[in-house]
Amino acid sequence: MSTWHDVGSLADLERDGHVVARVEGREVGVVAVGGELRGVRNRCPHHGGPLCLGTVDQRLTGRPGGYDVTDELVLRCPWHGWEFDPTTGTCLDEPNLRVAVYSAKAVDGRVLVDL
Amino acid sequence: METGQRDWFRGQPSLGLPGYSWSHPSSWYRQDLAADGRPPGSDVESVQSELLDPSGTSVGVLNADDAVLVSLMPSPYRAAALARAHNDWIRERWLERDPRLRGAIVCPAQHPEEAAREIRRVGEDPRFVQVLLCGGSERPYGEPRYLPIFEAAAELGLPVAIHSGGEGMGIAAPPGGAGAVTFYIEWHTLGSACSTMAHLVSLLVHGTFERLPALKVLLIEGGIAWLPGILWRLDTNWRALRADTPWLERKPSEVAREHVRFSTQPLEHTDGHDELLWEMLEAAGAPDVLCFASDYPHWDFDDPAFMLKRLPEAWRERVLHENAAALYGERLGLVAA
Repeated sequence: MSTWHDVGSLADLERDGHVVARVEGREVGVVAVGGELRGVRNRCPHHGGPLCLGTVDQRLTGRPGGYDVTDELVLRCPWHGWEFDPTTGTCLDEPNLRVAVYSAKAVDGRVLVDL
Repeated sequence: METGQRDWFRGQPSLGLPGYSWSHPSSWYRQDLAADGRPPGSDVESVQSELLDPSGTSVGVLNADDAVLVSLMPSPYRAAALARAHNDWIRERWLERDPRLRGAIVCPAQHPEEAAREIRRVGEDPRFVQVLLCGGSERPYGEPRYLPIFEAAAELGLPVAIHSGGEGMGIAAPPGGAGAVTFYIEWHTLGSACSTMAHLVSLLVHGTFERLPALKVLLIEGGIAWLPGILWRLDTNWRALRADTPWLERKPSEVAREHVRFSTQPLEHTDGHDELLWEMLEAAGAPDVLCFASDYPHWDFDDPAFMLKRLPEAWRERVLHENAAALYGERLGLVAA
């Protein structure tokens, strides 16, 4: 059953790229990924950093010596730079690590996340 | 620094500190710290609110980042002037403003006599708790040219901290030991660890601690998982090659345990094998040789709360408190338990 929680204003999210709030004892954030909103627990499973304060960026790939900018958007932790798939929560370089992710949406200028 | 001299330096297009040839793909600093266009951690209030207060830190030692690179400037005279200015700035702008803060004395390593003079000048202030040298260097620090620095430190009861960084910059030797590296990831993997290993081995084989029995050295941010391996290797060579350095009467690893301490940061990520790391480090003298360090506000810092949970419970008090209290003594203002 969906339980939507208000975690901040859409204006704040558009300005900062994220909003973060405490929901049911957990810090949960919403980040803008392309044109969509993703809910992410604000705790990096590596060292506990505030993952939602990181950057959403295009993942680089390429053969040796090449720098190919892909369309895949990743959430990069602001502490140690580990990259996560914001849709599945999987750490792209350490698949054993996963962060909880949630559905999110904007309604009447407010950002809601489904826990 | 005199006012006229200060104004002259301020009028220069740059201070002349060497910079990195390698580029970090995102940031040298934690990206969750607000900075108003300046590097994070640029003022006392930031350090208080972002590190000291939330972690409950009772005493924090400030280790200069860019300032320590004066030792890699081609001009030893300019380096000496900037080191003096930095130390005075730390005293006036930082140590005066929070009683929890302690300073590390920056000195021009490429001009050891001047460095020793600066250590004796600044070391009179008990809030300066160590001498700070840069991992990047022209030669490893056991070389006799550097002895005046270590003599001055030992005379004042100050540990000498060698902080990784600067390898391959300015007049420093290339990082890694095989020529200039290509990427920042190479520099960060090899530069800091290899210079730390080189200084450790150099200080031990030159007999620095036999010359200066009171001297303590702290090796910062060079990693530690390699420590048992390099000490085992050195001990093996000592047994076979004693005539090369006949003044070494004790196993180098024993001398290292007595005289050398290591910062925890960056504690290697072990892919779930922390138990192996603890066991290896115990063979090299842990936990007594380890002191907690955060590396705030850099991108690869270790959070005190996270480290508290990661370390074996029996190690925590020693690594987070007792070892540093014993290393720094009265200047830290703490009593070893």
